[in-house]
Amino acid sequence: MFLGRVTGTVWSTVKWPQAKGLKLLLVRPYRLGDVAPGQVRAGAEASEPTDDLVVCADTLDAGPGDDVLVAFGHAARVAVSEKLAPGAKPDVPIDAAVVAVVDRVEIDREAGR
Amino acid sequence: MIRGTVVGQVWATRKARGLDGQTLLMIAARDADGNPSGRLVVAADVLDARVGDEVTVAFGSGARNVLRPGAENRDLLCDAAVAAIVEGEG
Repeated sequence: MFLGRVTGTVWSTVKWPQAKGLKLLLVRPYRLGDVAPGQVRAGAEASEPTDDLVVCADTLDAGPGDDVLVAFGHAARVAVSEKLAPGAKPDVPIDAAVVAVVDRVEIDREAGR
Repeated sequence: MIRGTVVGQVWATRKARGLDGQTLLMIAARDADGNPSGRLVVAADVLDARVGDEVTVAFGSGARNVLRPGAENRDLLCDAAVAAIVEGEG
């Protein structure tokens, strides 16, 4: 998983039928230098995330400005199937999904040096 | 797997059901020279790793095997998990 900020959305009409109804978000991952030590929520006081954009399925009605956790691979499909229908098979053509809207991050950047 | 240092923790109340009860740590990945690469990974922790600990992080089905070993773990929502707390390397 990674921590990122939602920066926008993507629309498409031509797509796999299994992906119908799924909202797609653009999420920018935070790098070590982007996250202010001890910050409560990455908001105005935080740096902008600088890593490459990732397109993610949204399962939590997240929107631009939200800080989120994104899961990859099978974990992303498990999260999406939770939303589609109870007990739905995780066979959607998705490999990244927002799985949490972050309330709080505690970080000691010095520990990573 | 990757090697990294635990630098913090993440909390969220609005989350997928599969994340309930998971401790989520922020890990600063290290590059080939052992320096922080700048990449941050969020991983589930069941080993009680602390900030400052050197750890290895497993991804994919390897990560699910940390949370629940065995074939019947594909219902788990987990793509990264702390697999070991590193004590030394040669």
